[in-house]
Amino acid sequence: MNNYNVIVIGGGPAGLAAAIQAKKDCASVLLIERENRLGGILKQCIHDGFGLVRFEEKLSGPEYAGRFIDEFNSLGIESLTLSFVTKIEKKTDGFAIHIVNRGGTAVYTCSAIVLATGCRERTAKQVFIHGTRPSGVFTAGTAQHYINLMGEIPAKKCVILGSGDIGLIMARRLTLEGCEVLGVYEAKPTPSGLTRNIHQCLNDYGIPLYLSHTVTRVFGDERLEAVEISQVDEKMRPIDGTRKTVECDALILSVGLIPENELAETLGVQMDSGTKGPLCDQNLMTNVDGVFSCGNALHVNDLVDYVSESGETAGAAAAAYIKTGRKTVRFERGSGIMSLVPQMLNLEKGIDNVTVYFRSDEVANNRSLKISVDGEEKFRKKYAFLRPPEMERLVVDFSAFNLKPGSRIVFETEAAK
Amino acid sequence: MKEMVCIVCPNGCAMSVEQNGDAITVTGNKCKRGEEFAIKEMTCPVRTICSTVKTNSSAFPVLPVRVSADIPKDKIFAVMKEINSVTVSAPVKRGDAVIKNVLGSGVDIIATDSLPDNN
Amino acid sequence: MNIAKIRKKVAEASRGRVNAELKNNCIVLSGCVDSWDEAVEACSAAATPYSKIHVVNDVTVKNFIEKPMRMPALSDTALDGEKPDVLIIGGGISGASIARELSKWKLSILLVEKEPDFAMQASGRNDGEVHPGIDLSKGSLKHYYIRKGNKMYGDVCKELGVEFRRVGQYVCFNEAWAKPVIALYVWKRKHIDKIEDSEIISGKELHRREPSFNGSFKFAISNPSTGCVCPYGLTIAYAENAVMNGAEVMLNTAVTDMQVENGRIVSVATNRGTVFPRIVINAAGVFSEEIAKMANDRFFSIHPRRGTNSILDKKAGRYMHSVASIKELASSGGHTKGGGILHTVHDNLLIGPDAVETSEKENVATNPESIEKVFTRQKKTMPALSERDIITYFTGVRAPTFEEDFIIEKGRNCQNIIHCAGIQSPGLTTAPAVALDVEKMAVEMLGAAEKNTEFNPVRKPIPALRDMSDEERAKIIAENPDYGEIVCRCEEISKGEILDALNSPVCVPTLDGVKKRVRPGMGRCQGGFCSPLVTKIIAEFLGKPVEEVRKNYDGSVITYGTNKGGTAGE
Repeated sequence: MNNYNVIVIGGGPAGLAAAIQAKKDCASVLLIERENRLGGILKQCIHDGFGLVRFEEKLSGPEYAGRFIDEFNSLGIESLTLSFVTKIEKKTDGFAIHIVNRGGTAVYTCSAIVLATGCRERTAKQVFIHGTRPSGVFTAGTAQHYINLMGEIPAKKCVILGSGDIGLIMARRLTLEGCEVLGVYEAKPTPSGLTRNIHQCLNDYGIPLYLSHTVTRVFGDERLEAVEISQVDEKMRPIDGTRKTVECDALILSVGLIPENELAETLGVQMDSGTKGPLCDQNLMTNVDGVFSCGNALHVNDLVDYVSESGETAGAAAAAYIKTGRKTVRFERGSGIMSLVPQMLNLEKGIDNVTVYFRSDEVANNRSLKISVDGEEKFRKKYAFLRPPEMERLVVDFSAFNLKPGSRIVFETEAAK
Repeated sequence: MKEMVCIVCPNGCAMSVEQNGDAITVTGNKCKRGEEFAIKEMTCPVRTICSTVKTNSSAFPVLPVRVSADIPKDKIFAVMKEINSVTVSAPVKRGDAVIKNVLGSGVDIIATDSLPDNN
Repeated sequence: MNIAKIRKKVAEASRGRVNAELKNNCIVLSGCVDSWDEAVEACSAAATPYSKIHVVNDVTVKNFIEKPMRMPALSDTALDGEKPDVLIIGGGISGASIARELSKWKLSILLVEKEPDFAMQASGRNDGEVHPGIDLSKGSLKHYYIRKGNKMYGDVCKELGVEFRRVGQYVCFNEAWAKPVIALYVWKRKHIDKIEDSEIISGKELHRREPSFNGSFKFAISNPSTGCVCPYGLTIAYAENAVMNGAEVMLNTAVTDMQVENGRIVSVATNRGTVFPRIVINAAGVFSEEIAKMANDRFFSIHPRRGTNSILDKKAGRYMHSVASIKELASSGGHTKGGGILHTVHDNLLIGPDAVETSEKENVATNPESIEKVFTRQKKTMPALSERDIITYFTGVRAPTFEEDFIIEKGRNCQNIIHCAGIQSPGLTTAPAVALDVEKMAVEMLGAAEKNTEFNPVRKPIPALRDMSDEERAKIIAENPDYGEIVCRCEEISKGEILDALNSPVCVPTLDGVKKRVRPGMGRCQGGFCSPLVTKIIAEFLGKPVEEVRKNYDGSVITYGTNKGGTAGE
């Protein structure tokens, strides 16, 4: 009775898309969500700009999620909310998923798992901010939770560290709600967020952006009283003599996201150093047969549209999953490639229509992405510019590449000819 | 000539806008929406607002809202004041107007999430 | 005690600027120096390790203004006129354990702590190691109490419902030539110092037990009696058990003054009124010298010493399962401590602490140098260590005397005070044994006391659902569904556990108070996901708006309320 073809863990945009796709592909599906409502982090992303690719509309986070939740419900997909996965056991014919909720404990079994567990934020200590431990130091997501879900103002006068989109969007949100944003500081010499967000979130409200600057210390025994800002060199080390103190009552951190894969790791799923997510093939199956990954757990995305897309890929593949052998070839990250998804191809499955996502490791104009097999160029695509904060998506037909197990497939970027 | 960045989509095209009397020429945009944005920006810049309104529910103390259409940029904080002064009662459905014709602008403040009854 | 000799040493250490005198059986140092470090150097030169004749530091430091003790924001008369039999000053491991042991007697016990919770300073800011008594020689109180304390840990923790693991410790050596010398040291430890668990193991055996350790180690001293415990968890457990047995606890309560007549403390002033205790126990940590001074009984001095520890993700916890340190024979000396590596009871790794002299008793701000120094050293023990696994770090301030030994004795010039001062490492290990002796001293000082026949030594811990089987969990959730609602995903903490913490005998309804008791926010996201949820649970528990919830101190506001509904921001 508790057996399903596919169990999806996580009810955010990736998990919803995966469950919907798996259900459409005639699988029996159960989605397990930790929080009390579906929607994941989109519930608190109340700003607009979601769904431009998919719906060609500017939706807010809850609206984007709402469309999927409506479809999820209309398909009659089963879900458990406020239910927490405590353990996943590998069985000979699938998996046993142990959960806990207000009703007690339960075990659900399935042939395929889709892990859509999202990501978490890097914290102050993980970027080596020192000093005291006052209140008023928040990750952007935590501040967003207080302000957007609880209606509580977490700051009156704040400094934002990190120019990723979340940091920029929080700068605008806090300003609209009456908080003074003294500035956005970014350790890198280039902004991490989308250019349009710098314009509509900072410039529109006269919020300064300081590049090559970081917060090195916090002050205050009870609530935050000030932060120490230092200019940094190209290796992001603070430069002596550039320190200044800025008085503020909050420090909002938008200093990076880390895919959450603690459950995946308990199953023996291998991680990729580039994405910090699982190694996957073109169907987003990890090295562990029957375990699929998607969304921000797979790799951190900048657009929710791609999160949903990866969910659909994983959901479809999970629905179609039958345990068979795999013949895989690995992709290699050559020069200029910071991260790449998928990281391998299963030659036993379709390889003619593979969606590839990559990030450049530098800001550069007029570049080409080159794919070579055993030293021979097989594919080239030109880009007017590449930036690490912007993930590139392309579809590649590998069927013409004459691949065999052991082929050396290298992705790299070079100056466009 | 004015340089600007299009905020319509994530491409963020860098555009140049030239105004000669009534004629406005836009270059650098990849699509029509960019041109529209640039012209609007020169004549009457508009923006969207996303915020929350207070509710009478303890489980969901605020409900996310946005403007149904862009509003003049200089009206942002006046509209925020309106948004901050209302309290909505459950149930509210996604898309429901919580303030109609805010400040006579012809734009509504609409809920972007549902507020369920009985919580 | 040759004061002339001491005077000469002090003069040398201070370039003639500090003088030493023997007064009331204390070595009193006076003079004026340029820096705090110079004062510490002069005092250290005057001190004889483990001596009962203590150095009293009256040296002034040019341009040095000591920061006043941080006072609680609270000010009322809640305690005015109370006449407890025993007033315990300080809610660290010493004060809490003494309160609990004294609660075996029919006595009115009042414990005051200036901080908003127990174990806010050294007792909550250490590595939680239950020491085997390494480097301690016969004749010191540290040595006397560590043998007893270490042995008591299993039983005490069982009674108090606190997890304790005897994980063993390895002191690792790279120099094969040193083995005979170290063997001699181990023999001395066993037969002279009577600390009998040590043995020498080969590098190969070490590697078999801890495969992640540096393969270059030639041998190690193994001390299997070493254990680990959650230091604030144990302090809180002691305090709760004391309260269960009738002791009164007042947090946010600082002693500001005492009235002493004829060598007896008559009254003690606090920010919450004046109390009239029969006896006073000084367990005030870095402020124990100030308390002694108020009692006209200042015969020792404290020189604060900071130490910083890092906590690593549980994933790094898989690297090793014991306590380890490296002994480098080429470079050692003084308190250039580089700490060790410890697998905690919560399965994280803890790296540190270092040791740095400081003039600031309450400055617990961290510095990058401490982390760098400790990691450089500890990577020699375990190359897999990485700063990237750090989830948090914290600094504590130790409270040593210049003799580097404990002071556990009745007042010398004040008849109704007992000092439990100079407590530093291994003060956590020794606390259970010290508390028993202080209990004896107090009962003797008070004259006849009746046993508390209702004393219950057992404290039932808050259930830790993450450690239960599915069946056990289901059973407890059926009784209380809140145990089935996970709030903290990293540490798997349920709403039920959080509510239990709020309903515990020493209720500290703050984010940190809950975090210390049941751990939401202690994991790898450091409360990123759960802190708004916990804030909300606390607000509901208190029946107050969210903006009234604090992180720890009165001023540690989390949110400023709402601007919605026309109530604010106008």
